[in-house]
Amino acid sequence: MTLLELLKNKEKKIIDVWVERALDSYISSNFFKQTEDQFANPVGVNIRTGLTRIFQLILSEAEQQDFAEPLDQVVRIRAVQEFTPSQAVAPILELKWVVKQVLSGEEKGRALLPELVPFDREVDRVGLMAFDMYMNCRDRLYQARIRELKSGSYILTDSSCASAAVRENLQDIASLAGNSGS
Amino acid sequence: MAVITKDELSKNVAEEPSMMTGSTPPKEWMDTPVQFKPGNYAYPTKVEKLEYLDSQQGVSFPNARVWNPEDEDWKLPANWKEIIINGLADRLDRFRSLKIFMDCCVRCGACADKCHFFLGTGDPKNMPVLRAELLRSVYRGEFTLAGKILGKMAGGRKMTAGVLKEWFMYAYQCTECRRCSVFCPYGIDTAEITMMLRELLHLVGCGINWAMEPVSNSNRTGNHMGLTPQAFKGNVDFLCEDVESLTGVKVNPTFNRKGAEVLFITPSADVFAEPGLFTCMGYLLLFEAIGLDYTWSTYASEGGNFGLFTSNEMMKKLNGKMYAEAERLGVKWILGGECGHMWRVINQYMDTMNGPADFLEVPKSPVTGTVFDNAASTKMVHISEFTADLIKNGKIKLDKSRNAHVKATFHDSCNTSRAMGMLEEPRYILDNVLEEWHEMPENTIREKTFCCGSGTALNTDEIMELRMRSGLPRANAVKHVYDQHAINTLACVCAIDRATLTTLMNYWVPEVEVAGVSELVGNALVIEGENRQELTEGLRTLV
Repeated sequence: MTLLELLKNKEKKIIDVWVERALDSYISSNFFKQTEDQFANPVGVNIRTGLTRIFQLILSEAEQQDFAEPLDQVVRIRAVQEFTPSQAVAPILELKWVVKQVLSGEEKGRALLPELVPFDREVDRVGLMAFDMYMNCRDRLYQARIRELKSGSYILTDSSCASAAVRENLQDIASLAGNSGS
Repeated sequence: MAVITKDELSKNVAEEPSMMTGSTPPKEWMDTPVQFKPGNYAYPTKVEKLEYLDSQQGVSFPNARVWNPEDEDWKLPANWKEIIINGLADRLDRFRSLKIFMDCCVRCGACADKCHFFLGTGDPKNMPVLRAELLRSVYRGEFTLAGKILGKMAGGRKMTAGVLKEWFMYAYQCTECRRCSVFCPYGIDTAEITMMLRELLHLVGCGINWAMEPVSNSNRTGNHMGLTPQAFKGNVDFLCEDVESLTGVKVNPTFNRKGAEVLFITPSADVFAEPGLFTCMGYLLLFEAIGLDYTWSTYASEGGNFGLFTSNEMMKKLNGKMYAEAERLGVKWILGGECGHMWRVINQYMDTMNGPADFLEVPKSPVTGTVFDNAASTKMVHISEFTADLIKNGKIKLDKSRNAHVKATFHDSCNTSRAMGMLEEPRYILDNVLEEWHEMPENTIREKTFCCGSGTALNTDEIMELRMRSGLPRANAVKHVYDQHAINTLACVCAIDRATLTTLMNYWVPEVEVAGVSELVGNALVIEGENRQELTEGLRTLV
């Protein structure tokens, strides 16, 4: 059995462990793991769907751009949650560890471990891509803050009262007039 | 995003893989203290705003001071504990609902996974049952015999500074959207528990500026923005010019006109900020098309009522100005614009706070003759109810092809759906002004709609990540419709939605813009004598 065949055989097990570990990063991880309705559980279902697709794409030696959508499903969520940048993208890199754990469980898997180097390199590549996406998300977030500030809603909190400003203007004008008279 | 120290970083990358992903061992919720850090709390109220409000009649906002949630010492008044306990006792006595809500929860968990804050964060204290438990535990510990004797065993605890901090954290991680209440078999209104938490916090001077500055502005000039009557009128005049240059229709609204049949009140954001401006242009065109005898007020120049997010007394006072102005101008009834929480105040609280408004008449459409019995007591009709009735009676001419650039879905605002029950009217309007629109999934619309995630004065930029997390369930459903039907517009009937969903979409589904239903009506309206330009983007077209 080749490594690829074995990975395909073990797909369900690998993905289950991988998703389980990724969702362990949330305090209420059980809910995120168990609820299957994608609208009742957007975090859990998006991460499960995204990671599943990423694993399948790695096995099918997909083009880099094909990873964008499933990666986005995972990273866009984690980029606004209370994670450090490394924690946000860590689930991708964890795949290497998960695969080794699963393969090590049986003799034929252990024998194929040395052949995992190209697979690991592929995971690293996807991991780096995840970091780019993470930065794009953060950038988008800061842009959103700037846009809100520029849109005028800042007047709610950070501007002076319009009529007070008029009064101040009048006082300035009066004091200028007073100065010029003296 | 947490800022990580060098020590933490070295630990993170070196230890077990589970540490890499930020996995946290679960602890008892009572043993998990809150931690304030930049991005997870909204800024406290500015001292001058609180002092001003405290000086006003009918409301009390004591203990203004400079304080920082991140500091250990919140500079609370020396007798803060006594203030809180007395405040809770007073409210348990005054509000029967609070007493019932404190006693009747059986912790069945039906609400637990219905909160958008919980769904976006996974933080158990964002489960409505647990958020309520933050208060309920103190109620038990300080007010019930079992709790006083058995303490934690009976789910009770004493009021401490740590508990107060927890209240501040989670009372401002709830948008009072009431989705959880839909699922509660006992009908516990968790929003009202949040309201009580916020009231109690105000007793010791702990509130957020994004709520209190609009409140202060509304109390002073009549609107959130603090616009003077001149500035308010000036902004509407600007919009009239825009409407004329786009459509060739000259609209002539009046202001503070005594004897008008109808007083029109809408959120001030409609006359001030995009995309509300386009919604406002829709109102102006519609009223012109039917020749409505109406007036704006530059004093009741705000539909929004951030008092709802602050205290009962403040809500009552801000709501009162609308009716005082209606009485002063001698109108027959009030027509309300696209606002969310204004309608909650009107439909759930107004009648017992400031009503009944007997000096007004039961609203009757001057165009169709329809009597709005549903507003017999409040005397206030929603613009979507009014518009839907016009369409139903064939009183306005609409051309859907003028909205050919729009492919929409519809977001039910929490308050108009859950607090008012207005579910069909906006949909009926969309059916008549759009060639194509699609519903979001069933468990995310109508009375089960997901909040925009930034209501109740949480639409401030310093908590942007929190807003994106809590808005995820809504955005996720929009994304689904986008993936299926390539929609480009999220229609809604709430001013806070229009502002916050715009940002939410920008992060989660950038291809989707946000529009008020009345904007889409304005786009499609055919008006006699018009001289319309080629408006490829409706009222948003730059000419």
